[in-house]
Amino acid sequence: MAPIRIHAVAYISANNHPVLIRSFIDNGNALKYHYIAHTALDVIEERVNEAKHPYLGLLYSIDDVAVYAYMTPLNLKIVLALALADAVVPDIKVHTIFKAFHMAYYHAVSNPFLDLDPANPVPLNSPKWKFFTRQLDEICAVVGAGV
Amino acid sequence: MFVAGLDAPSPQSPIDAAPTRLPDPFTLLTARLREALLSQRKVSIWQPDKNKSFQVLLVDKDIRFPPRKIGPQDDSQHAVPHSPLSPLTPSSPLYPDGLIAPIWIRKHTTLVPSVFVLFLRLFEFPLHNLRSPLDAPDPDREKDREQEERKRDGELASYVASRKKSTNERNMKLTVVLMASRRMLDDPALDARLTFIRKQSGLDARAALFVLSPVSSSELGDFVQSLQQALYEPAVEYYTSHSKRVRRKRNRHTQAVSSYSNPLSPVGHPGTIRPLRPEGWTVRYEYKMACFAEFRGEDEVALKHYQDAYEVLAVMFGSMSILPPRTKRWAEAKVLADCINIKITKLYLYNNEHSLALSHHTTHIRKFGDLSRGWGIGEETFEYWSWVARQYRILAELLEQGTHSTLSLPSHRPVAYNTALYTSTAQNPSSSRGSTPALETDALRSLGLNPSYALQHPGFYYYMAARCTEMRRERFLIALDAEGVSNSPGFANEKKVDHLVIILELYTKSYELFKKYTPSSQGQSQARLTLWIAYRIGQTYFDSGKFDMAIRFFERIAKTYRRENWDPMLRPLLTTWYACVQQLGDVELSVRLLIEMLGHGVDESEEPETLQDDLLAVLKSTVPSSPDEPFIIDLSGSQPIFDSNVVFWTHEVKVGQPVAFQVSITAPSDVAICELPFMSLSIRFSDDTLPLVLLQHSGAEIDEPSKVTHINLGHISKTGTDVPPTLKTNLRWKQDSTLVLSGTFSSEVPTTLKIEELLLTLTEGTWNIQIPMDPCSYRHKILPTSKWLASLKPLKFINVKRENSSSMIVRHRSHNVLLSLTHHSPACIDEVYPISIEVTNADNRELEVTMDILLQPTEVDDAVNSITLDDEQSSGLIKGISFGVLMPGVSSIKTLNLFNTGGAGDRMIDISIQSRVSSRDDPKEDLSKSDMEDVSEILQTLTVPTVKALKVTYDVAYRRHLDERLGLADLRRFEEDFWDDGEAGEALVTLRLECAGPWALELQKVTLERQNNDGAKVLETSTDMFDEADFSSEYVPGDEFSGLCRISLQGGEQYIPGPGTYLVQWCRIHDDGTRGSTSTSVFPLPSLRLPTDGLVGLLQISPVARLHQALPLTLRICNNHPTRSATCTVHVEPDPSDGFVIAGLRSGRVPILLPGTEEKILWNLIPIECGYIKLPKIKVVDHRKLIINVQGIGESEVEGQAVKIVDVRLDRRRESVIAESNETEQEGGKNTRPPDPENDSEEIWGTVLVLP
Repeated sequence: MAPIRIHAVAYISANNHPVLIRSFIDNGNALKYHYIAHTALDVIEERVNEAKHPYLGLLYSIDDVAVYAYMTPLNLKIVLALALADAVVPDIKVHTIFKAFHMAYYHAVSNPFLDLDPANPVPLNSPKWKFFTRQLDEICAVVGAGV
Repeated sequence: MFVAGLDAPSPQSPIDAAPTRLPDPFTLLTARLREALLSQRKVSIWQPDKNKSFQVLLVDKDIRFPPRKIGPQDDSQHAVPHSPLSPLTPSSPLYPDGLIAPIWIRKHTTLVPSVFVLFLRLFEFPLHNLRSPLDAPDPDREKDREQEERKRDGELASYVASRKKSTNERNMKLTVVLMASRRMLDDPALDARLTFIRKQSGLDARAALFVLSPVSSSELGDFVQSLQQALYEPAVEYYTSHSKRVRRKRNRHTQAVSSYSNPLSPVGHPGTIRPLRPEGWTVRYEYKMACFAEFRGEDEVALKHYQDAYEVLAVMFGSMSILPPRTKRWAEAKVLADCINIKITKLYLYNNEHSLALSHHTTHIRKFGDLSRGWGIGEETFEYWSWVARQYRILAELLEQGTHSTLSLPSHRPVAYNTALYTSTAQNPSSSRGSTPALETDALRSLGLNPSYALQHPGFYYYMAARCTEMRRERFLIALDAEGVSNSPGFANEKKVDHLVIILELYTKSYELFKKYTPSSQGQSQARLTLWIAYRIGQTYFDSGKFDMAIRFFERIAKTYRRENWDPMLRPLLTTWYACVQQLGDVELSVRLLIEMLGHGVDESEEPETLQDDLLAVLKSTVPSSPDEPFIIDLSGSQPIFDSNVVFWTHEVKVGQPVAFQVSITAPSDVAICELPFMSLSIRFSDDTLPLVLLQHSGAEIDEPSKVTHINLGHISKTGTDVPPTLKTNLRWKQDSTLVLSGTFSSEVPTTLKIEELLLTLTEGTWNIQIPMDPCSYRHKILPTSKWLASLKPLKFINVKRENSSSMIVRHRSHNVLLSLTHHSPACIDEVYPISIEVTNADNRELEVTMDILLQPTEVDDAVNSITLDDEQSSGLIKGISFGVLMPGVSSIKTLNLFNTGGAGDRMIDISIQSRVSSRDDPKEDLSKSDMEDVSEILQTLTVPTVKALKVTYDVAYRRHLDERLGLADLRRFEEDFWDDGEAGEALVTLRLECAGPWALELQKVTLERQNNDGAKVLETSTDMFDEADFSSEYVPGDEFSGLCRISLQGGEQYIPGPGTYLVQWCRIHDDGTRGSTSTSVFPLPSLRLPTDGLVGLLQISPVARLHQALPLTLRICNNHPTRSATCTVHVEPDPSDGFVIAGLRSGRVPILLPGTEEKILWNLIPIECGYIKLPKIKVVDHRKLIINVQGIGESEVEGQAVKIVDVRLDRRRESVIAESNETEQEGGKNTRPPDPENDSEEIWGTVLVLP
């Protein structure tokens, strides 16, 4: 099966503020993923009412990406933009990716030296996230390699 | 279906306009028929339902169908005639190599019907009025009529026959509907006439001739229905035969493909006329078959043929030689491919195969996108994007049409998704889903889906179309700049297109659909998707120069983005918005936006001064609309310009105590604001009584290049006198520089202090802009640790790691009230235990002190405790005990008495002392607000261990009655005060009191309060023998006091409640020798239990005898058994070693003893030795058959059983009772041990002391 290419991942806090939006494709068009993450919230809100599982599945596909979402028990939302390819994307695989991203975040915020306001976590570009973003890049690389 | 003969009545016709009162029933019928037929089936794009209805076209009666086949006139040897639309016909638009033309479809949808229905009037001879019913029918007239009818019917038939000929040519079904009046239907001649007409005209036998009379519209509807029902099959047949014909041709064609190289092209003209290639013919035939199948309503067949056509077409496109690009045929084929694609998509969707439909569509776009690249109209051309946009738009329109009727969009949420599915699908895919019918699809869904084939609502495709159109415009503009290929017709065409209008239209449609499909979650419908589309619309408006429209969109969008902190998205929005506002010349809004944009900073690509320069330029070049009023820009909800923070040194202070604070205002690092003319900064506190602090700008240059400027504000208090009148500082911030304001303030009332607002004033020319700021706000929402500026040189900050470091609480000083408790623990049960409470005012204020005392419920069973203070007594709470107003240094003592009963254990008392400042000096001052009242409270919990002062033990012994029992019939038995103690005897109760507690006690009095009852009465007690004075003795722990009482029992009841209570008066002896208060403990006598025995012998003898003097020995044999009588024998077994000589019965039989009787036997003993002499052996045997189950042997009868003989001198059956303090009588009963039968059975006889 063709490897899944991740275009971007977005972490959105429980009160819908962006936490971190990281785009892995290298044309600096992160703004587009801001829009995608933001609009994804619409569908997430709709799905969350019914779903009991954290994995919310495909939200929509637009332009060249398919947007998936995942919601942690603490209502942190993770939005994933995958490259749109002509292949079936197995839910189990996406779910695994989400779990990896969730764990990365979990480990990052578990850092006792990271002083966080839980209602309003430190947003992106903070140097505090350096390790975290590196981990995200690693996950992306691993997924992209088709493992 | 063609319908002829239903022409609308032409109003111009003078005949119709003739003044007839009633409208002709046939005119009405015709009109209704037209209506009914036309409403049968509307042609629409989305028609998945298959009912047997026809598309009806009204035509003229004498319509001519388009020529079927025309033979080439000039070339008669080519006998094969072709359709005028065939590529083989030179006059055809397709000649020589076209595939198929839209006109072909039109031919079959509008020009050639499958069924032709002809409505005709049946001739009816005009009705003549019969003069009377008796008139004989006029034979002449009848004859005339018949002739006329026959003539007219013949004409009709021949007309029909002519029509039939033309329809037969095309295998169409012709159906004639004859309209006749109702009277005609009843005419017996009708059948004959109809048969005649049908035969004459050569109509089919079935479903070819109907007769209709004017009926109501509902009946008409039924007629139309049945007409269609009847004609449906012929129509299907018609198209089937068409299909068959085409298939035959195709098959012939494919077989002959090798020889069909170029039959028509003359050898001399190669290349000029290239006939249609075999692939082309295949496409043509497949397409035709697909169309016919679709006409028949066979969607699957149609889909198959369309797919075949599409595939071959794709092959054709693949080869440059078959379809040379950019030719007319190529363009036609491309359109055909698009059409087939959308047909396939639609047919898939009819079948609810969403992903297949979308998959086909995406594949189509991709395939032709790839091909386009080869054709030189790749992604860099506007042609390509125009084409893609069109494809998406068609899809969107199709979906929109579909969703209006039957199409339902799939939901892509993971169905039945759970973790269990993961594991179970691997081993047993069917188990987890149970009986879901769509097992296959479900299994696929559980695996996941292909996002590119996930059908979404049409809004998405409109959006895609709009995006593609944007790309198209982009490419077009590039091409316009290049202007190299301006002569191409495509480019000229493109120039005429107003792209922005198309984009707007598409976005607007998309917006509406997104709005429609927005989850209608009640409460807050954020509709971020629509906002996004709205942003695109706004952007498009901006591009097309409609700035006012754009602004309206931006304003709405910015609200949500601000609220949810999506700043990266807000920045480009603000930039565009600002550009719009600039164009519109709204100065105030520009200023507002620019200041908001300052908060967001600039892109890395831009100079940090851009915004500042813009702002200054605007301010300098314009004047505000109202120069007198300050222009307030409220930045709440959006990013602040500065990082500002307030830090208090401590979290809590007392009233009147000064508290230090620091306000830091840090300029952003990524945007320059150093030129902005801030003129003043004011600080407002949450406490309104504190004055506003105002800082003016002074131009004084800061000499040091430090990043931090520090200003001391001094002490700020209500009076405000300490504040320097004009504080001046430099209010120009360099990038990343900080202004720290420090000061102290104090409050006279308890409150929560914080800084409410910082207000920056910016003045330039006539502009006076006020920017209120939240004193604790951070750009990018980063919450830094609060820092306290410790020193400027070197720069040093102290981290303040306290929560709420930016607010501070002012509290009253707590009162210095001392509480001390004095008592001698442990307390005793039944004792009034004094606890003295001393409250001392150690404060320097007068305090009013009140106390609440709560005695907590204890866990000890049956404990009833109470507290007493002053006059109040309670088993729970005593509230509001006032100590009055205590002057400083004064203390007050109150004694709380605790009284405990029940068991030992801890008793808990909560004491709460409230003190409030005595407001004597200013009683009018309103201190009603509870939080303002200066109250403090001391809480203390006191645990009092409670022990028993006295431990009580009872010993009970039972004695048999010594006196002779009264006979059963003795008259004295029936006297009122008869006390039958004969059976039960008496009990001896020994009381043992032990001083148990850690305290020495003084026993003052021990009395037995008699409570004689039916079962027992106290005969005498040892305590009666003492005077009160005799008790006054001290008992140290471990000392005991004993008392004895004798109780006579009366038989009958097994358990007898104790017939009295010991009252013990005692008081505690403190260590210093003083006596505590007198307490009384109550110890009830234990309940008594009657020992019972059946037959018993009681031996009575004096314990002392004189040598050689006769000593009487009495044996009483009592039958205490309630029912049995007894027959006993008595044996004296003298022994030579006996010290007595026995005179009396040696061996004998006792008379039968009835229950409750006794027999007395006397002996005289003469002692012959001195000393303690054993009694001679006496045996009593009860002669009663007793069955003893001897082990192993079986049952054996034993004659006689020894009766127990008790020496009454030693008759004690003991039991010991440990009485608990305050025990109830029942419990006393429980604790008693029953007399031990083991001890009882032993015969112990005493000896007799024989004295000389």
